[in-house]
Amino acid sequence: MEFRNSWLYLLVSGLLIFIIITALGGGLFGQTAPFYMQWQHKLFAGLCHQSPARSFWINGQPMAVCSRCLGIYSGFALSWFLLPALSLFSLENTSVRNVVFMMVLLNVIDVVGNVLGFWQNTLVSRLVLGWLMGWTAGLFFTGDFFKITIKSIGNHHGRITADIKQ
Amino acid sequence: MEESQQISNSNPSYWASVGIAGLIFGIIVFVLGLIVTYLTINSEPTGSMLSPMQFVGLIVCLIGAFGGMLATWHYAREYDVPFTLGTGALIGLFTGIVIAIVNILLSQGWHLIDPKMTQHLIDHMVANIQASNMADQQKQQTIDMMAKSLRNRNQIGTQLLWGLPMFGILNLLTGMIGAKMFSKKDEDNF
Repeated sequence: MEFRNSWLYLLVSGLLIFIIITALGGGLFGQTAPFYMQWQHKLFAGLCHQSPARSFWINGQPMAVCSRCLGIYSGFALSWFLLPALSLFSLENTSVRNVVFMMVLLNVIDVVGNVLGFWQNTLVSRLVLGWLMGWTAGLFFTGDFFKITIKSIGNHHGRITADIKQ
Repeated sequence: MEESQQISNSNPSYWASVGIAGLIFGIIVFVLGLIVTYLTINSEPTGSMLSPMQFVGLIVCLIGAFGGMLATWHYAREYDVPFTLGTGALIGLFTGIVIAIVNILLSQGWHLIDPKMTQHLIDHMVANIQASNMADQQKQQTIDMMAKSLRNRNQIGTQLLWGLPMFGILNLLTGMIGAKMFSKKDEDNF
């Protein structure tokens, strides 16, 4: 398996771990200060509405991001960390783009439908829809960092006869 | 690796794209923040720790993270050259930094136009806490902390400290996604 752009992959991996830990909020560290005073909330203040009513709670503290944002970050992080395995599959950039677009649209429809009162979404439904969006966005990078090649053995005298990722 | 370096070295400058996308999204983030603040100030105190501004937030969640994607789109469209994921990440990172700085500068400027905005926001928060079911001692404690937090929020250093990291990181990610979506295909570049 070839590992290219390793510095970028490792840098983004570190950043994603930081994002996830921060997104989980002060409850993870047993912080007792009001949530709006916690550094985790301050970091995400310009990026998420952070409504406690629409967030999961840990140890009596709301997370620093809403359930949909948590889903987006965790979905993206999971597909990012699974890139070595996902590189087994050949995914067309255009197909991934279409799927991501559909997921974004699904989230927009969910938000609009909820605001207009057509349905009432829940913490879990928002988490799942956000997760799907983040997961599919991570699929853009299959084949960018890891490339799996299979070397033949036996009669082929070690020549490369199959290249899974074209 | 050498291919990537050649691409990076020969590519035109991306600062125009960074500046344009940073400015646009900086203004968007600032305006949305302003709407949220005035909605809060003009709402009735409910006693809830949540502000009625959440409606705006529900719709615009994460919007400030998409500057990196706009910058890479602009760069790809303007110059029509292949660029690497690393370049996309850099474009996104710098765009995030510009967004945060533009937002801070506009916020500071707005305080010249409406110097009483923060005080009105604190007054609203105090009224909101007074209307809540908390014990008196806890109310006072919460009011003190909240007032201090809101006043600190106006300092440039504080705004940079809390604004730069996440805008930078998330726009770095969307810059990479933008590089994948909009960069001209280069077969030799993995």
